Amino acid sequence: MFSRLLSGAVVGVDARLIEIQCDVSGGLPTFNVVGLPEKEVSESRERIRSAIKNAGFSFPAGRITANLAPADLRKEGVGFDLPIAIAILMATGQIASFPQRYLLLGELALNGEVRGVRGVLPIALETADDIDGLIVSQDNALEAAIATDKPVYPVKTLADAQQFLNREIEIASVSVDRNALCSAEQASFRHDLAEVRGQMQAKRALEVAAAGGHNLLMIGPPGSGKSLLARCMPDLLPALSFHEALEVTRIYSTAGMLEPGASLVWRRPYRAPHHTISYAGMVGGGHGIPGPGEISLAHHGVLFLDELPEFDRRVLETLRQPLEDRSILISRAGVSVRYPSAFTLVAAMNPCPCGFLGDPIQACKCSMSDIRRYRKRLSGPFLDRIDLCVEVPRVPAEDLFGTRTAETSACVRDRVVRARQTQWDRLRDDEECHSNAQLDGDNLDTHCVLEDDAELLLQRAVVRFGLSARAHVRIRRVARTIADLANSNTIRPDHIAEAIQLRTAGDAVPDF
Amino acid sequence: MPIRGDEAEEKACRYLKERGYRILARNWRTRTGEIDIIAREEGTLVFVEVKARSGDGFGGPEAAVDRAKQRRIVSTALSFIEVTACELPMRFDVVAISPGQMRLHQDAFQVPD
Repeated sequence: MFSRLLSGAVVGVDARLIEIQCDVSGGLPTFNVVGLPEKEVSESRERIRSAIKNAGFSFPAGRITANLAPADLRKEGVGFDLPIAIAILMATGQIASFPQRYLLLGELALNGEVRGVRGVLPIALETADDIDGLIVSQDNALEAAIATDKPVYPVKTLADAQQFLNREIEIASVSVDRNALCSAEQASFRHDLAEVRGQMQAKRALEVAAAGGHNLLMIGPPGSGKSLLARCMPDLLPALSFHEALEVTRIYSTAGMLEPGASLVWRRPYRAPHHTISYAGMVGGGHGIPGPGEISLAHHGVLFLDELPEFDRRVLETLRQPLEDRSILISRAGVSVRYPSAFTLVAAMNPCPCGFLGDPIQACKCSMSDIRRYRKRLSGPFLDRIDLCVEVPRVPAEDLFGTRTAETSACVRDRVVRARQTQWDRLRDDEECHSNAQLDGDNLDTHCVLEDDAELLLQRAVVRFGLSARAHVRIRRVARTIADLANSNTIRPDHIAEAIQLRTAGDAVPDF
Repeated sequence: MPIRGDEAEEKACRYLKERGYRILARNWRTRTGEIDIIAREEGTLVFVEVKARSGDGFGGPEAAVDRAKQRRIVSTALSFIEVTACELPMRFDVVAISPGQMRLHQDAFQVPD
């Protein structure tokens, strides 16, 4: 009275095939799950027992042992409910053994209903070669079908699964048209740049940031539109490719943040965590196998940090490595996982604690030492990763009324898409560097060729404003993006001039 | 009219026989405790606890079979298995008797963790 079948587990955004073995023998009635189960897996025993009885099957008397192999991998989540229940039904002859290598995944409700679980997409993606098909909850069917060419059979209840495996009923496999999904409605904008009044320079900075993948810091008094500008950012970026969408969906699936019945996250993520966020919330962590943090949830999208200096310093410092590597390795006792984190950082801060320093109307109430302390919370190495720094001043009263004439997000995005394509073509042979923001060292010299006048202008600016080497590199990078937006191969003086402008607000921050 | 323990067990035995249980032993006891009825239903060895209540307070007779009671029954069952070297699948049932009512709970509990 032994049975075995397949299931899967996620470790970070990777997946492993798990073999479920079940043995039912004589003896006192016990039901044990072994193979390093976490608490929620051990608890599954009660759900499985109730589900089997309430679905009209008999729960065997005697000693039941379910083993989840490999036994050295920590098992988390509730997805093993369905496979363990099926294994018990097989071991007691209520399901005839079947030759197909089906992978089963699903949580059981006490009445025998099968519910969706997290992590189905990575599991479907990575086990495709080893299985003949998947049996999952209806909630997860589309998500699984997106990732694999193997048939995906959705089941509503434990009884459905039993009858399907006994060939008493047919279940149509779910399939999705990937091309249709990808080209699906991308044109709608959540927030349009045209909604923001005034702020021409900030809008231009957003455009440059989107075009080159540069990180951006906005400094301005409360209510000037910093948050609204940031919210426009994800829609300025080119649409996600299928491959990118799959990467994003993988993270959201692992985090259990997909809507039931959802298939693919095809919108660029926008994450705006509150400044009280913990270190683990930002980079990832938590009990058991560490889960993804905000920086990974913002993968291929935008991470917006409002009130930047209010964030815990330690939290901000941990951003440095992922900003550089575009991924984060979280190591804990017994397990280490790597999550991708290629996000664009958009940050906002007030010029001083009260917010009104330099405001033409309202007076600032802060003392010099308050202001100094406030700005010193941002470390040099952190600011090092931010290429653009603009002021977002109060909107003049006359701009608040009258018709809006601002450009729409759609126009801006067209330019951004073109500029991105130019970079992509230029950096095609480079494995690590795909955008201007990542240009450094040799790359910078090869790709940021300045016209003679431009070189001269930059030299003069460096001397005149006492710019650091770091600032100098930043200006060249940004100028490259501006030139790309203008369809220019070389960097002209006007590109350099604009690049210098797009960092002027940085003078307010030490070390920028 | 209160129901006495042995009366209740007598009633439970008759009821179980009607249901097709073969009674193997009654009031099987060791130092650790006592099992009211040991029976066989088809291929399964069943340890039955009979609990009677004359009123319906305190959640009925079922409520009296708590963790501690279950542990006692399990350890007594273990001695029975040792003595008889039985290898059948096994189950714990509870027969709950209150005035005018008799309820049989099959597979009422498992060996506690």
